[in-house]
Amino acid sequence: MTARTQVLDRAVGTAMSAVSAAAKRGLGDPALAELVVIRASQLNHCAFCLDMHLAVARKHGVSEQQLDLLAAWEEAEGVFDERERAALALTEAVTVLTDGFVPDEVYERAAKHFDEPRLAHLIALVVAINNWNRVMVTRRVAPGGYTP
Amino acid sequence: MTTDEDTEYAAEQPARMRWASHAPEVYKAMARLDTAAKQGLDPRLVELVRLRASAINHCAFCLDMHTKDALAAGENIQRIVQLNAWEESKHFYTEKELAAIELTEAVTVLTDGFVPDEVYEKAAKHFEEAELAQLIATIAVINAWNRFGVTTRAVPGHYQPGDFK
Repeated sequence: MTARTQVLDRAVGTAMSAVSAAAKRGLGDPALAELVVIRASQLNHCAFCLDMHLAVARKHGVSEQQLDLLAAWEEAEGVFDERERAALALTEAVTVLTDGFVPDEVYERAAKHFDEPRLAHLIALVVAINNWNRVMVTRRVAPGGYTP
Repeated sequence: MTTDEDTEYAAEQPARMRWASHAPEVYKAMARLDTAAKQGLDPRLVELVRLRASAINHCAFCLDMHTKDALAAGENIQRIVQLNAWEESKHFYTEKELAAIELTEAVTVLTDGFVPDEVYEKAAKHFEEAELAQLIATIAVINAWNRFGVTTRAVPGHYQPGDFK
């Protein structure tokens, strides 16, 4: 595979980390945050991000069963609760934007489980990981370089 | 002749949420990120990239804002309109701009696949490494704003150039 730039401007990287950190803090649920981040990274095919966040998720005690079934969460009802399912549906809609908008039913389902400040931070978290996914996939950053 | 005053337009949809007031720390970091990412890039190129990504992501607010910003910066209306059919109207753009627009599309439509080598290499031919890294960051950042805009249904039409300065 052709080598791609590994350059990421320091100010850009710092600000991206700040967006992610503020989003996670405001959501206040580290385990759910990892499910959201991993699902977006699956949709965007980000190898580096998957490797990193699977490790972080395990550190936060996310179960192996949830991690195994995350890509098929809609068919795994007993494994994810309603709040997690609402967050994952929103994650998918916000990530796959090129196919359409974010449907009202998806937004409202999330709004039922998260109050406005938490919902704002959940959206921000999906945005932030989409940001990382793009920067990592485009530069083809190799997976395996992250240690928790 | 029909004038604008007697035309009945569809009702304006309200925004779903004002996310920045609920997540001010996120907003501040996003603003810093936006400024950092475009550093070292030609401002006209930055607006073309933002417009193309916003069109692909269907962000109405972002299209309103960046069309006005591009015009305010002296961009030509033809280059803005033709941007959505750039493959058929390449003579409006420089080879460097075309490489950036093509990279913008590949990085924006990530769920369909990866960023093809030929697209990346064309961009790498026209942009030196630090500049290319900034271009990639700028594409990622407009994708971020697009996601905020679409998800919270930010209302287009009210932006004036300089509003967020």
